[in-house]
Amino acid sequence: MSSSLVRVLLHRAAVARVTLAPHQTLRKTSALSRCGSVLHRQIRGINTFTLPLRTEEKVTINFVNRDGKKISVTALTGNSILDVVVDQNLDFDGFGACEGTLACSTCHVILEEDVYKKLGSISDEEMDMLDLAYGLTDTSRLGCQVCLRKDLEGMLLRVPETVADARVDSQQESST
Amino acid sequence: MALHDTFLHLGRKNLLQHTYKQIFMQTRGLHKTTASGSVDITHSPADLKDDTAKASEEVLDVANAKNLKDMPGPSTVSNLLEFFYRDGFSRIHEIQMEHSQKYGKIFKSRFGPQFVVSIADRDMVAHVLRAEGVAPQRGNMESWKEYRDLRGRSTGLISAEGEEWLKMRSVLRQLIMRPRDVAVFAPDVNPVVEDLVKRIKTMRSLQPDGQTVENINDLFFKYAMEGVATILYEARLGCLEEDIPKMSQEYIEALHLMFSSFKTTMYAGAIPKWLRPIIPKPWEEFCSSWDGLFKFSQIHVDKKLSEVKRKMERGEEIKGGLLTHMLVTREMSVEDIYANMTEMLLAGVDTTSFTLSWSAYLLARHPMVQQQIFEEVERVLGGRVPTGEDVANLPLIRGLVKETLSRLFPVLPGNGRVTQDDLIVGGYFIPKGTQLALCHYSTSMDEENFPSAEEFRPERWLRKDSTDRVDNFGSIPFGYGIRSCIGRRIAELEMYLALTQLLQKFHIKVSPDATDVRAKTHGLLCPGAPINLRFVDRD
Repeated sequence: MSSSLVRVLLHRAAVARVTLAPHQTLRKTSALSRCGSVLHRQIRGINTFTLPLRTEEKVTINFVNRDGKKISVTALTGNSILDVVVDQNLDFDGFGACEGTLACSTCHVILEEDVYKKLGSISDEEMDMLDLAYGLTDTSRLGCQVCLRKDLEGMLLRVPETVADARVDSQQESST
Repeated sequence: MALHDTFLHLGRKNLLQHTYKQIFMQTRGLHKTTASGSVDITHSPADLKDDTAKASEEVLDVANAKNLKDMPGPSTVSNLLEFFYRDGFSRIHEIQMEHSQKYGKIFKSRFGPQFVVSIADRDMVAHVLRAEGVAPQRGNMESWKEYRDLRGRSTGLISAEGEEWLKMRSVLRQLIMRPRDVAVFAPDVNPVVEDLVKRIKTMRSLQPDGQTVENINDLFFKYAMEGVATILYEARLGCLEEDIPKMSQEYIEALHLMFSSFKTTMYAGAIPKWLRPIIPKPWEEFCSSWDGLFKFSQIHVDKKLSEVKRKMERGEEIKGGLLTHMLVTREMSVEDIYANMTEMLLAGVDTTSFTLSWSAYLLARHPMVQQQIFEEVERVLGGRVPTGEDVANLPLIRGLVKETLSRLFPVLPGNGRVTQDDLIVGGYFIPKGTQLALCHYSTSMDEENFPSAEEFRPERWLRKDSTDRVDNFGSIPFGYGIRSCIGRRIAELEMYLALTQLLQKFHIKVSPDATDVRAKTHGLLCPGAPINLRFVDRD
């Protein structure tokens, strides 16, 4: 367990050493859902920071936003699609409302069929949330659950319209 | 309005960024994405046509929307009679169904001063929840807040609103919302299940037939309390012991008082403050049960806190779980921790126990289904104790919980929302600030959403493949979105582990003198009579 010693900066400026008990502790990596790398899965505990084991590589991915505009970004492997949207301040209104905790489906993205197949199996929890996604398609995924890999270079993701886009604006006739 | 939306949006973004910075500072080594420019390329939308044109179906034709005045619904007087004279509070779920059949899937009613728009249609529920902003509001929590102000306590996730709520939610959801984070608690919950099994064996041995356990909910209540406390406080309470420790027993009593006084506290909220000197009891009971609940949390949190402090002073390693983590990182003040521990424990006991009771009841009454699920458990585990990871391979166990909780006995028969924006729902213009009641019980029992809705069929939840999907807003027992149940994954884990092991150990059977047990609403949807079951050893 020595490799899993982590440090937590305390508010009172004291530094405590927190050891990870095999099963009693919590994982905490970031405000959003860093993808579960091998390391993250093995370590179960207060994991305030973890240095990735593998080297990260850059991949370029292409979003098509709700206006049909294409946005290309370069991001590191190991990040989730949601991480990328937040890190790069992509302005998709309402995207990722639950911060990648599988409580909503606002980070719904639509993939191309070959990419969708390449990504492999989907957890039941994700499927349950996808059931609630707006404008669901056969190649829909939640952005918080899709991790960037080198072989996803050049992937195209469509950000579907949300019902929130259709919210009433009482000042004007319509907000869309 | 647009400005307001933008403001909220920015607010959320800032908050995310702020959290991010904080984490980044805490964690120096955390790898941030390298700065990389976003390249905007204009792209023809033609080939990417969205099939979501329907999105805008409800779009906001304010001019043509119907007025609330024209919405059907029971008269104020008949509603008053229904609830206060004919005790409608215990039949809320049935009244919900009756009213939706009589007045349509969207109707208005008035409970004293409170005006409510009820929505019993899957698509309309979806519309409301999908349109939610950054800090949805469930309902009027005035009486909860008043107690907290009175005693100088903090609000927790249930009673807090707005920014304050979002701040706490952001901390807590990172700890207990992700399924894989929660699966790690299985080794803590399994010993509690073991104690449950032992307790069942002891209790049935006291019966003449050596098989029956009377009022199974009482036992599941203790299991749920023990289970959730194991995770929240990292401590065993001894609820499943022969002699329950005094402190835990007092807590159980405070909880019971809270639940039993539900109706009076409903009145407590409804009774205007100036009437309190004349009718003091509801408010007094409300306060004293809260006192008991807060006291209990404070004792446990303080105990852990002094343990953490002691270790820090000695420079020892600090090992621990949820509470330790919260006390070490101090992302929340200790007062906020007391409040959240109190509210999470309160929310995680009877909800889980009722669902377990109904699941066991349904299994006993459907031996064929029970056998089918047992075979799956045997095939996957072969008698071994399940881990958190095994649950993914037990789709029928998951189906069992869904069929019980999501469909037949949704523990929260209705959920509330106060609209944060003007909305058009079902063709009606609903102004901002309207109290909505989302009628989950009605949508779960709707034949359009679930064919043969009355039947108990856990296998209806099995998926043929990853494209086998349903539009599922007909059944959302934990809610949806950022104000959905924070304890969802913990509750699921507790239920999956308990039900799996009960099936491994016992044939669950109806007791010979058993009659139909109907549901009644007592705040939550609960068994209207004690459920007595026989637990017959499998070997």
